[in-house]
Amino acid sequence: MILDLSPEADEFGRQALRAFESAGGDELLQQAEAKPFDREALVGGVLGDLGAWDLEPRADSDSLEAAAALCRSAGYWALPYPVAERLSRPTTGDTAGLLVVAETNPSAPVVGVRLPWTAVTLAGQSRTVVGTSAARPGFVAELELSSTTAEAPDDVALGLVLPCWTLLGMLDRALALTIEHVRLRQQFGQPLSKFQSVQFQLTDAEVERSGLEILAKHALWSAGPSSGTSAAEALDDALALRMAAIEAAEVVFRVCHQLHGAVGFCDETTLSWLSRYSQPLRRLPFGLSATRDLLTARIDGRGLTGLYAG
Amino acid sequence: MGEQATALRGQLRSLVAEQLPADFMGAFTDDPADLAAAQQFCRTLAEQGLLCMSWPAEFGGRDASVWEQTVVREEMWAHHEPRGAQYMGVNWVGPIIMRHGTPEQQQRHLPPIANGEVIWCQGFSEPEAGSDLASLRTTARRDGDGWLVSGQKIWTSYATMAQWCFLLARTSKEDKKQQGLTIFLVPMSDPAIQVRPIRCIMGPHHLNEVFFDDLRVTEADVLGEIGAGWSIVQDVLSFERVGIARYARCEKLLNDAPRALGAAWGELPDELRARWTRMLVHCRRARLLAYRLVELQSKGQVRPGDASGYRIAVTKLDQDSAEVLMEIIAAADVDDPGVRRFRDEVEDHWRYSQASTVSSGSIEMQRILLSRALLAAS
Repeated sequence: MILDLSPEADEFGRQALRAFESAGGDELLQQAEAKPFDREALVGGVLGDLGAWDLEPRADSDSLEAAAALCRSAGYWALPYPVAERLSRPTTGDTAGLLVVAETNPSAPVVGVRLPWTAVTLAGQSRTVVGTSAARPGFVAELELSSTTAEAPDDVALGLVLPCWTLLGMLDRALALTIEHVRLRQQFGQPLSKFQSVQFQLTDAEVERSGLEILAKHALWSAGPSSGTSAAEALDDALALRMAAIEAAEVVFRVCHQLHGAVGFCDETTLSWLSRYSQPLRRLPFGLSATRDLLTARIDGRGLTGLYAG
Repeated sequence: MGEQATALRGQLRSLVAEQLPADFMGAFTDDPADLAAAQQFCRTLAEQGLLCMSWPAEFGGRDASVWEQTVVREEMWAHHEPRGAQYMGVNWVGPIIMRHGTPEQQQRHLPPIANGEVIWCQGFSEPEAGSDLASLRTTARRDGDGWLVSGQKIWTSYATMAQWCFLLARTSKEDKKQQGLTIFLVPMSDPAIQVRPIRCIMGPHHLNEVFFDDLRVTEADVLGEIGAGWSIVQDVLSFERVGIARYARCEKLLNDAPRALGAAWGELPDELRARWTRMLVHCRRARLLAYRLVELQSKGQVRPGDASGYRIAVTKLDQDSAEVLMEIIAAADVDDPGVRRFRDEVEDHWRYSQASTVSSGSIEMQRILLSRALLAAS
C-alpha cells in the first residue's frame, strides 16, 4: 500500500511539468492536432531529455512511481503523445509500447507515432500491430493486428493503470482551471466563487478527483514489482481504478464545463481541449459499463481484496 | 499497517466472536441485555488493556500506533460498535480532559473511562443551534461563587444512560458569538437535569432532548478557562476528523452479502451485482482516503480540506451502499436464520446511514470547509 508517491517521484513530476511548459505547454496539443504525424518531433525530444525511456517501471518501484508522476504531468498538459502506453512496454521483445485493447474493434491513440506496438487483451493474448486505420478524433486509430497470437509476457495491469494517471493529470488541470475561472468571472456583481451552488459543485469534483488519486496510488503499488500481489489481483485493482477513473472524469468534466459556461466550449480555453482529448482515455479499451461488467465478472461473489473479502 | 495492527485485528475479532451474543446489533435497543453486553464488553477490553490503548501511558494507555487505533475503529464499527456509548469517552472526552482538565478533574474522570465504567454525552446542539453551534442559547449565569445553567440541548446521544455531560454553555455576551462560551463537566444525576428521549429512525435511545433548569455548577466543574469553550470545541472536532470508520461496516456487509444469499446471489439482476461491485470500489476509495488522513494526522500535516473530502466520500458511501444492500436482501430467503440476521443488519445499516450526512458535522458544512480550502489554495 502506498498513500503518497516518494518525494523523488513527486519532484520528477514537477520537473516534467516545467519541461512540458517550456516545450510549448498547451500549444503542443494544438500543433499536434494540426499535424498528427509530427507528434514524435514535437514532444519526443522533451521526453527523451527527461529520461522517460530510461525508466523501467516493471523492474523497480522507484521507476514505477516516476513513471506514474510523468504520466500525470503529461496529462496535466494533455501532452499529445502516448506516454503511458510506451512506459507500459513489455520487458522482452523489440516492442516500443503496450496497448491494452478490447476483443472487438481494437483501437488506440497512436496516430502518427510510428513505433512497433504490441496490443494485448485483458485475457493476456498478445499480438503485433501491423497497421492502423485513418485517424479518428483524439489521435485514435483502429488497429490491424497480426494473425498470430502469443501469451503476453507481462501483466496487463500496468497497461491499464498508467493511462489512469494520465487521466488524473487531466482532472488536476481541469479543476485548477475551473477554480481560477470562478474566482475571476464576475456575475451579479461578484465572483462566481462566492455562490454556494458553485462552491458545492467544486467539492463534488474534488471528492471524485481525490478519490481517483488515492486509488491510482493503490493500483500502481499493486501492479508494481514489490507488492507481492498476484497478476490476477493486480488486474482486479487496475479495473477497479479504471472504473473509478471514468466515473471521476465524468463528474469533473461535467462540473468544469458547467462552471466555465459557454467559454469552456471555445478553443480559446484549455478546458475545451482537455475535455475532448480525455475521451480516448475514458472510452478505450472499454468504457464505464464494460469496465464495471468485466470487474464484476472477475470478483463476483468474492469481492475485492480488503478487510472482509471472502 | 504492520504486524502489530494485524495481530490486534485478529485479537479484536476473537473477542467479538467470544464475548458478544450472536444476535448483537448495538447497545441501543429496547432489550436491556444489549446495553449490558456492551458494558461487559468494555470492561473486558479494559481488563485486556484494549479499551484506551490510544491513550498515553501516563494516563493508563498503551501509546498505540495510529494504525492500531485505526484497526480498533474499523473492527468496532464493523461489528456494531460493541463499546456502545463508551467509544465517545475513549475517543475524545478522555483525551480532551487530559489536555484541558485540572489534575483533580483528570483524577476524577479518567480512571472510570479507562475502566469502561462510565458513559458520557455531549451537550452541544440546541434547537436553534445545529451547524451554527456558536448561536447556542443555554446560559450559565453567575450566582454567588458558581453559576446556574438554564436551557435546552437536543439530538443528545446516550443522554438516558449517561452519567456525565460535556456541556457547552454561554457564560457571557461578547462581540463575537464564538466568545463567552464555557465547557462544564456536569453529572447527569442532578435533579435539575431532565432527559426526554426522541423516538427516531435509528432506533430507541439514540437521540434525546436535555433540559437544564437552574443547574448549579461551580469553578470545579469548568473545563479549561472560562470563556474559552469554543477553542475546546475545535479541539473536540479535531479528534472527530477521522470519525467512525463507516467504510468498515459497509465493506463487511457488502462482502457478507454473497455468503448470506448463497445460491440466490447468482439469481440477482446483473445490474445489481454491478452496483455491488461499484460499492466495493467506493469502499476501498473511502478506506484509503481515511488511511491517508490518518497518516497526515500522524505527521501533523492535515490541511483543512483533507478531512472534509474524506467525510463527504464516506458518508455518501454509507447511504449508497445501504440502498444497494437493501435491494440485495429483498431477494434473500428469509426462512434461513443466517439470512434473517443479515437482513436485520442491513436494515439497521440503512436506518443508521440516513443520518450520516447530518450527524457530527453535516455534509453541507463539509462542503463549505472543502470549497473554502480549494479556493484558498489556488
